[in-house]
Amino acid sequence: MASSVLQLEGQKRGLVLDPRTKLFLLLTMAVFGLGGAGGSAVDVVLPLVLLLPYPLLLLAGKWKWALFGVVAYVGSDLFLLYVSPHIGGVLSYITLGSCAILNRFLPSILMAAYLMSTTTVSEFTAAMQRMHVSEKIIIPLSVMFRFFPTVADEAASIGTAMRMRDIRMGGSNMAKALEYRMVPLMTCCVKIGEELSAAALTRGLGGTVKRTNICKIGFRVQDAIALVICAVPWVLLVVDVFNRGLNGVLL
Amino acid sequence: MQTQERINGKDLINIGIYAAIYCVVMTAVAMIGFIPVCMPLLAVLCPLVGGITMMLFYTKVKKFGMITIMGTIIGLFLMVTGMGVWPAVFGFVFGLLADFIAKSGGYASAKKCTLSYATMCLTIFGNYIPLYLNIDEYFSTRQSFAGTDYVTTLASVMQPWTAPLIFAACFAFGALGAVLGQKLLKKHFEKAGVA
Repeated sequence: MASSVLQLEGQKRGLVLDPRTKLFLLLTMAVFGLGGAGGSAVDVVLPLVLLLPYPLLLLAGKWKWALFGVVAYVGSDLFLLYVSPHIGGVLSYITLGSCAILNRFLPSILMAAYLMSTTTVSEFTAAMQRMHVSEKIIIPLSVMFRFFPTVADEAASIGTAMRMRDIRMGGSNMAKALEYRMVPLMTCCVKIGEELSAAALTRGLGGTVKRTNICKIGFRVQDAIALVICAVPWVLLVVDVFNRGLNGVLL
Repeated sequence: MQTQERINGKDLINIGIYAAIYCVVMTAVAMIGFIPVCMPLLAVLCPLVGGITMMLFYTKVKKFGMITIMGTIIGLFLMVTGMGVWPAVFGFVFGLLADFIAKSGGYASAKKCTLSYATMCLTIFGNYIPLYLNIDEYFSTRQSFAGTDYVTTLASVMQPWTAPLIFAACFAFGALGAVLGQKLLKKHFEKAGVA
């Protein structure tokens, strides 16, 4: 975890994209891949955009994530094609739903994994500052960015501890499951958060002077390529909306 | 007096911490939506479970604007995780409304906080809007299951007349979640010295 939060300079970083490019990629995935905006108008280019996370993950040396993506995608696709027509009833709804949603969410999950694992908090902050986002949004967002792995980590540990006591969904102590998980999670996250907050304030976060940043971010050739690929569905969407006379503004 | 102060770094960090906890918890709960019939159930579960996190957050809120920022960030998170632009808009609007409600109670009144959190929960309704407006297009990007059982079941569950019902459920269970949160706050967090 530490390596994704602190500086990545010592590591082999592979292809470096600007954090703003990554954010735009994620937004594009979310709007077109998950939100299904544009409908049939963007069908032609959509696969190209949705496949982008794979080369990016590979180039950043995160081949495990890329492998997971390929296995999950092919697996759920094959399942939908060959297995699900043969099972019926409630089970089929559950499996079908899970596969369909996994299928749908996968590009965004991979993109988010790429964003989180290859961007340092400092770079993220620098990118947000360049976009002239208000400090009031930057600070909470960068704290969240830093804090997500911690919360997930704590939740997993608490889950393990509670499973040992058979306090889980479907277990004998199901009624307690919510309280017995939420309360320790909240308590320890808040404690960690307070320490984090004290540490950040000591280093001058939220001070009156403008924060400086040594991270070098900027657009390079690879950013331009990625941005152009992502711009295509947006252009198609605008054209499509224009053609339909504002009837399809729905995202 | 204290409510007139400007938001400082510590407040912003607090927002970030609670937003992170809230988003992780919501994502865990939302996994239930994998089962199509349970999709509307999320309007019940998310406000209920989220109430615990939010009530603890409300104990830290003393200044105007914090709840608005919280709502906006949650809305942005929902947008990036693929719920469309509606939650982002709803997040800001209902966050602001919730902020005004909580402010009228001086950020201390339990009743006003309950009402405020219930208002904020209406953001969740934003997630359902694409489903009501055009369910076919929502699923058209994946040909492998367009028109399969999943979509038909979902379409049969998400009839247009359920919209006000879900809207009301978000609000009602938001209020209930807030009460639950306040109970747990008394039972555990005050004792542990967190609240």
